[in-house]
Amino acid sequence: MFEHAAVALELLLTPMRLLALFAGMVAGMVFGMLPGLGGVAAVSILLPFIYLLDPFAGLALLLGAISVVYTADTITSVLIGAPGSPASAPTAIEGHALAKQGQAARALGVGFLASMVGGVLGAVILLFAIPVAGPIVLSLATPELFMFAVVGLYYAASMITRNWAKGLGAACFGLLLGVVGPAPAAADFRFTFDQAYLLDGFSLTIVALGLFGIAEVIAMLASGGGISAEATVLTRWGTGFADFWRNRWLVLRASIIGIFGGFVPAVGASASTWVAYGHARRSTKDRSRFGRGEIRGIAAAEGANNATIISDLVPTLLFSVPGGPAAAIFLGALFTFGYYPGPRMVSENPDLMFLIVWSVALTSVVGAALCFAITPYIARLTTIRFALLATPLLLVMIIGAYQATNTTGDIAMLIVLGVVGWMMKQADWPRAPALVGYVLAKPMEQYFWLSNQLHGWSWLVRPGVLIIASFILIPLLVQFYRRTTASRRGAAADIATETAAPASPAAGHPERPYVELGLAAAMVVAFAYAFIEMLGFAADSRLLPSLAIMPGFVFAVLVLAGQLRRFASTERRPGGVTQYREPFFLLALVIYGILVWAIGFNIATGVLLAWMLFYCAGMKPLTGLIYGAVIFAAAHGLLTLMKLEAPTGSLVNII
Amino acid sequence: MKPLLKTMTIAALSGAICAWGVAGSAQDYYAGKTIKVVVPFSKGGATFVSAKFLEPFFEKHLPGNPSIDVVDRPGGGSILGANWFVKNAKPDGLTILFTTSSTANPYVLGKKEVQYDLAKMRVAYSHPFGAVAYTSPSTGVKSAKDILKPQKPLIYGGIAAAASDLPGLLSFEVLKLDIKAVLGFPGRGPIRLAFERGETNLDYQFTPVYLTQVRTLIDAGKAIPLWSGGSVGPDGRLTERDSVNSDVPSVFEVHKLLYGKEPSGQAWEAFQAIASVTYAFGLTGYMPEGTPDSVLAIFDKTVAAINADSEFQKASQEVTGGAKLFPSSVAEPAVMKSLQAPPKLKAYLRDLLSKKYNVKF
Repeated sequence: MFEHAAVALELLLTPMRLLALFAGMVAGMVFGMLPGLGGVAAVSILLPFIYLLDPFAGLALLLGAISVVYTADTITSVLIGAPGSPASAPTAIEGHALAKQGQAARALGVGFLASMVGGVLGAVILLFAIPVAGPIVLSLATPELFMFAVVGLYYAASMITRNWAKGLGAACFGLLLGVVGPAPAAADFRFTFDQAYLLDGFSLTIVALGLFGIAEVIAMLASGGGISAEATVLTRWGTGFADFWRNRWLVLRASIIGIFGGFVPAVGASASTWVAYGHARRSTKDRSRFGRGEIRGIAAAEGANNATIISDLVPTLLFSVPGGPAAAIFLGALFTFGYYPGPRMVSENPDLMFLIVWSVALTSVVGAALCFAITPYIARLTTIRFALLATPLLLVMIIGAYQATNTTGDIAMLIVLGVVGWMMKQADWPRAPALVGYVLAKPMEQYFWLSNQLHGWSWLVRPGVLIIASFILIPLLVQFYRRTTASRRGAAADIATETAAPASPAAGHPERPYVELGLAAAMVVAFAYAFIEMLGFAADSRLLPSLAIMPGFVFAVLVLAGQLRRFASTERRPGGVTQYREPFFLLALVIYGILVWAIGFNIATGVLLAWMLFYCAGMKPLTGLIYGAVIFAAAHGLLTLMKLEAPTGSLVNII
Repeated sequence: MKPLLKTMTIAALSGAICAWGVAGSAQDYYAGKTIKVVVPFSKGGATFVSAKFLEPFFEKHLPGNPSIDVVDRPGGGSILGANWFVKNAKPDGLTILFTTSSTANPYVLGKKEVQYDLAKMRVAYSHPFGAVAYTSPSTGVKSAKDILKPQKPLIYGGIAAAASDLPGLLSFEVLKLDIKAVLGFPGRGPIRLAFERGETNLDYQFTPVYLTQVRTLIDAGKAIPLWSGGSVGPDGRLTERDSVNSDVPSVFEVHKLLYGKEPSGQAWEAFQAIASVTYAFGLTGYMPEGTPDSVLAIFDKTVAAINADSEFQKASQEVTGGAKLFPSSVAEPAVMKSLQAPPKLKAYLRDLLSKKYNVKF
């Protein structure tokens, strides 16, 4: 085995291949940092270039990109609060909260180091696991996959502490978003309204960008200031290193959770990140900081998501079954070079296997180092006027959404979900449970249905199912035991810290009674309408929608009732609302969406740029014109690079 | 000379004559131009990989050596990409929709979201995409002839009845098999894993995967090959063996073996129509309605040149077991015949899908 490892290292250490590896790494970092353009976009863009290289260099190019995406998107998650993928949502929540408190360096430092450990550990596991992982992957049958998705959702829900009705309502809303499209049980298309666009359901990128990204950009545009009140100081990494060292075992445990997640195709990344995050929460004594900037949450999530993306390659290489969309493209690349992953590949192409391991390990370390090096420069961006930064970010998000199907529907969906996400943020509905609910709805339903079809109800007592279920049951039992013993002693310290949180609503968060009321009412209507629509589905395809709709409706009604009570009792302060600019920016975004549909991308974007740069950012004519032209050209460059055609107008088509 | 060969020769000759007529212009027609090949599936998928596989050969053999640009437009199980194609592609031979039966089936079944009239389009070329059925030794089945008396109930794993599982399910109807079809898997790969885990015991895989993954299982004694969909014979019926998987019988042969007579009736007619667009002409390059014959003639000549290219033969042997391209003159009539299925046949399909597989129309 080790002679192959040495041969593979020698094969990799040729100038061309190293260059390809690091070129891929840089592309992966750039796209990881741009919100909405994660690994899939990076790998898609690099794909045409691999055909110009020799097979090993071509694969190194893709691997370089794949292995650093989750390291680089830590930067966006922390500084902007827009996660690149559901697996980065915990980092966005905790890291962005820390950044707002001026502790961005600490959050980033821990994030990068945990990412590196996750990546390297993933590579080591890849090395040792490949010969023996076959039986593990094969022992995970459909019931185990279902159970894994349930565990992921449970752990994601465990972070809901402040307002459980809003949190669970948001999770139900996410599940409802996830059931749009084909039902696995019967060939029933749900909530598609005869639109071909909705036949596949919503795109993951669009849901993630809509729920998180748009709201953050709107806030940036409206605030005008920096992320934290004072300029983000990123010179002292020391605290970050100390924090990392203090949590080294947590990172290690999280990485191992992530590695197992990678063995589970499709469910892996998001589920294992949340399991790791939930584990961090459970193993922390003082949980009050979770959701408001807890460094342990970042350490766990970043260790897990990097380990997962690399161990995703295990099912890809052993069974030709890709673990995620980026791995799917990598698999396609292997095919074009004439490699057919499968059990034989380990014995037939050992050099290639080790080349993959080396590439991944090398880029994980170099990538993390590079992230440390560039972050001070990127953090400087956060001190400039945010309207200037928000403009290109918004366009990147629109293009990122647009790559889903290259239709105006993508942009429309992004804006609709953006409005929902913005309202959720204002009304203090947690968005992460919605995102996780959306991601896990489909595999949960699919594998539940398949498990029952293939095994009857006997799957419930399969050993694998019981082992995975113990991830939920054991912590629950431990908690129960602790509480009973604690109450016997008469000191409910644990519970006290647990319940301290809901008493204080997010400090400094201005109240938006109209938005809160409007969102609660909209949710009630949405769930009620979905219920009526659901009655038309085949019996087998009603199960998951009803699991989302029935409780969702109840939670939404509860929230609405609470809002109405508060709305009636509190006095409206005159001027409180008019001071508030965000709704106008949201309206402008909606108008932009309509303009794109009506007169095409080019003119609509020109108008948007002019409005944002001159009106919002107050730039001088000449500098504004130059800056706008640069952004416009860059947007077109990005479109060309991704082989996308800018949307043309449906009503008038001038350019 | 067999009738098919005769038609092929005539077609090739007439193609050659046509090409002669436009020879001067054909040479220039594609020079310096770019042909856009639209794949309505995502980049990692088999169709995209196939399009990239064919790309260099078309660039090399099309007169004027145009560059080929393969782009993906995924969504709606290929419907979005095909809808885009009819709205945007001009009949100038510069835009090709390269797709599978996933585009044809919803058209034949009359799904509401379909905005394209596939039967009016032109077929520029086609590549076979055969599939082989195999079972697990745990069923006690040793070869296709035991399939009616398995020791265990047969469980087939699939994605969706009205999509790419349709020909497989129809083949079970033709052979009158008593199987339990468990649909709703997320993809062919997970289905293969479920088979390896013993959760299912009857499966179909497309040739490239069959050759690279299932053959290993067969060699290890973990799978038994049963039959292939077959290929179109001289009389236009699906009676011949799949040339790539000639070691397994076709569905047609298995029916004769099991029941002592040729298959007939609605199920067989439906299977032939759907299977020929799925397997025999599985990957098809469509051009928009109104594309002139002169353009198709250029492609006919190009396909012949590619098939004769020893480099293509070598590469194709590795990837698809040596499948050759079909020129427009062969593929177009066959594909059109399947797409213009008579109303009676459509009614049969809709009835079968809605009653047996809960498909809603």
